[in-house]
Amino acid sequence: MHANTHKRTGSGFALLVALALVSATAVSVNSPAVDAQTVPRVGIVCTEDAGTTTPSFTLTAKTGYIALPDATTMFMWGYSNGSDGFQHPGPVLCVNEGDTVTVVLQNTLSEAVSIMFPGQENVLANGTPAQPQFSGTTLTSLTNTAAANGGSVTYSFVASNPGTYLYESGTNPEKQVRMGLFGALIVRPTMGSDFAYNRPEDQFNPDEEFMVLLSEIDPYQHQAAQVGANFNMNNYQARYWLINGRGFPDSIADNGASWLPTQPYGALAQVAEHDPDNPTDFPGMARYLNVGTDDYPFHPHGNNGLVIGRDGYPLAGPGPGNEDLSFEKFAINIGPGQTWDVIFKWYDAEHYDPVTNTVPVTVPSMANQSIGVFYSGSPYLGTQEALPSGTPTLNQCGEYYIISHNHALYQIVSWGVNMTGPITYMRIDPPTGCSQ
Amino acid sequence: MNEKRNLSRREFLKYAGGAVAAAGTITWAGKILLPEAASAQALTPHLYLAGTDGWMYLPPTPQIIRPSSVAGGAPLHPDSAAPDPFTTYIFGFRNITGMSETQKLGQKFKAQHNAPLFWVNQYDEVFNDVDFRVQITNLGLELRPDLFDAHTLHWHGFRNVIPFFDGEPSGSVGIPTGRNFNYIYRPREPGTYMFHCHVEDVEHVQMGMTGLVFVRPLQDGTSVGGFTKFMYNDADTTTPGSTGFDREFAMFLSEVWTDSHWADAHVQLPEWSDYKADFAMLNGRVYPDTLLPNSPINAANSTSWLDVETDANGDLMTNPGLEHLQYNPHSSLVNCNAGERVALRFANLGFKEQAMTLAGIQMRVVGRDATHMRGRDGTDTSYETDTINIGPGESFDVVFTAPSFSGGSGSSGRGYDTYMLYNRNYVGSNNLAPGGFGGQATEVHVYPGTTVPAQQYPNDLGI
Repeated sequence: MHANTHKRTGSGFALLVALALVSATAVSVNSPAVDAQTVPRVGIVCTEDAGTTTPSFTLTAKTGYIALPDATTMFMWGYSNGSDGFQHPGPVLCVNEGDTVTVVLQNTLSEAVSIMFPGQENVLANGTPAQPQFSGTTLTSLTNTAAANGGSVTYSFVASNPGTYLYESGTNPEKQVRMGLFGALIVRPTMGSDFAYNRPEDQFNPDEEFMVLLSEIDPYQHQAAQVGANFNMNNYQARYWLINGRGFPDSIADNGASWLPTQPYGALAQVAEHDPDNPTDFPGMARYLNVGTDDYPFHPHGNNGLVIGRDGYPLAGPGPGNEDLSFEKFAINIGPGQTWDVIFKWYDAEHYDPVTNTVPVTVPSMANQSIGVFYSGSPYLGTQEALPSGTPTLNQCGEYYIISHNHALYQIVSWGVNMTGPITYMRIDPPTGCSQ
Repeated sequence: MNEKRNLSRREFLKYAGGAVAAAGTITWAGKILLPEAASAQALTPHLYLAGTDGWMYLPPTPQIIRPSSVAGGAPLHPDSAAPDPFTTYIFGFRNITGMSETQKLGQKFKAQHNAPLFWVNQYDEVFNDVDFRVQITNLGLELRPDLFDAHTLHWHGFRNVIPFFDGEPSGSVGIPTGRNFNYIYRPREPGTYMFHCHVEDVEHVQMGMTGLVFVRPLQDGTSVGGFTKFMYNDADTTTPGSTGFDREFAMFLSEVWTDSHWADAHVQLPEWSDYKADFAMLNGRVYPDTLLPNSPINAANSTSWLDVETDANGDLMTNPGLEHLQYNPHSSLVNCNAGERVALRFANLGFKEQAMTLAGIQMRVVGRDATHMRGRDGTDTSYETDTINIGPGESFDVVFTAPSFSGGSGSSGRGYDTYMLYNRNYVGSNNLAPGGFGGQATEVHVYPGTTVPAQQYPNDLGI
């Protein structure tokens, strides 16, 4: 069965700063991994097999390259969708609670590979329970494999529990996961695709659903894999850290940006200002996943996130009332292999306005400020001021940009280039939208 | 071999053009600078901080020599350029509130670590409280005039703030050398936060422009559960007074990776992915220096920040014999009386996750990331533990009740009982010296009766 990429959500404000960042002509997207016609510019790009309760996907393990912020390319392994070209990370598989999911793994690599589905129960491989693989008494894989050079294996499971999950290689994982054999699986609850779990309080705005998939790369490990050499894991040392398979500033480029043909997933969180007093103005939703080797303390500026679930489990107690155990955080300190589901609302708590409620300071002369490239020239949402001639700006209509980044700050680098790595922004558009 | 290492980040921004310039900020050097606007701030700030560079002290022995590092075999630590008795080049904030212009400018090259501790009251809608205004100036970097870096103040964790007051320089503005900027805060959520400069933050945070700030709850001053001081507004919860305390201590965690400090002092660039915490600090010092007293504090002025006494030139005063700690002014010693409730406010702006353990006393975590431990339905999610696993950028609010005094002259023979508060992530826990104990550690001293007088300000040792 063909799994088609599905446009999950539409955003009212089409133009992204990311386009302006690199090329004014980069309007059409044509990635082998993502269908240009249907991809939303921001937010989660779901790969779905819509209209069935027995969705089926084919993932092909293959080699490819990604671009990194220090202008290098990196040899990778990855799961791609069907016969599509290489992509990193693997497709975001979206299914519904209760679906019987089939994933056919086709292997073009020169060693056996597999897929683990952490958090899924009763996974079958070729129709029988998936099992750790042994050669004699030696564990060779955490699950059934697709043989090297053309082998395949078919996994299936019932997606019983809504939530955010990783899928990743279970074979030689310290190599294969690091090489890029991983992706995200989202199980939507029966209550609806705009709910995180089957709890009414976990409803979110489907136009503001985002993925934050965090990973890392040791270039020497990838070089060794490329030339077929052994790599001593004792020498492992990550030099690059990525968000959704990209470093900053690529991270804020559109989904399917043409200049990132193998890295289809952006991380810009484009949202509208929320009304904290309106109970039907639902929050945004960020699905965090960590496929690295360290805890990653991700820090969204400007608001706290409410952690409502982890590893596919809503944060609820065992009591009859299922006590609410959710908690707010300003540092999402997510461990290796974990997933955290976080809802968030940004609004200006003080409702500053250029006429009726000005900021209670004298705004310094432009000459006395160091002007950021995303700054509008004005403290107010939706207001732009003329910047001194020659000042580069990427601001379009007075929108706000609020950063979100890994706070283990030595990790927001790309092997010598600072202020790259796992950094993205929340973009808040004015209520009137962006006419540009 | 690796060309990247020869390309400074500033050159990189210059060469790479707009796409990468997004990571930094552009200073406009217009032909007309308007001096009146630079300081024409309509409202007097409550707190006035200056960003600059300087030197501080860490234990000078043993030397740290890494042949493969930026120093190419020279000692990274102590830094050969450091004036005695200091060892380590830093960037930092200084409190210049109320200083004359001459005094203020005189604080260039006299940074401290960690930054001045300050606190504010929760904004009061009813009584229309005033905003808290923090003015920042940039005194420049004496040792590195080539780094014409701006500075900002980022109040880490402040909710629903506009970019203008968030201090992230790409989305708003930075403060060039010689200029001022006022940040306005209307703190609506009590709890423990932290602050730092967000310009080139990999570097400026590691170099020391970091500190702790907390927000007192509205409930303070009322009597709930036998307390009048609290970490959160807990009167209408199932456990009123559970966040109340008799004494409070800020515990600010930071780290020094000597490669980066040496590199900044010697016009080099470190390879950040090589990062390790050579020194893990508590309130800017390593054990046992953490036990030494605060620099002289002006208690009367310490109503919203820990006011370290300054001399006629505005420089920091020190205690006799502790001149080496002139720019590490903050103590971490916890003195308390048996049976008292003690609040510890932890915040971590190091780059590594740490494991702060209080041996022999259970701590109750009542808040994390400036959020009272409560579910959306009011479920009490506070918990007891002896270890706080605290990642970079996280904060924890804990309380503990001081155990009864063991009697006599105390278990230590010193008139008090000693409990160790230390980092069980033992990397750096010996200050790199063989044997001994160091790093992110301090002691809790429990005295009998009412030996320790009431606390006048946070981190007041009392005796």
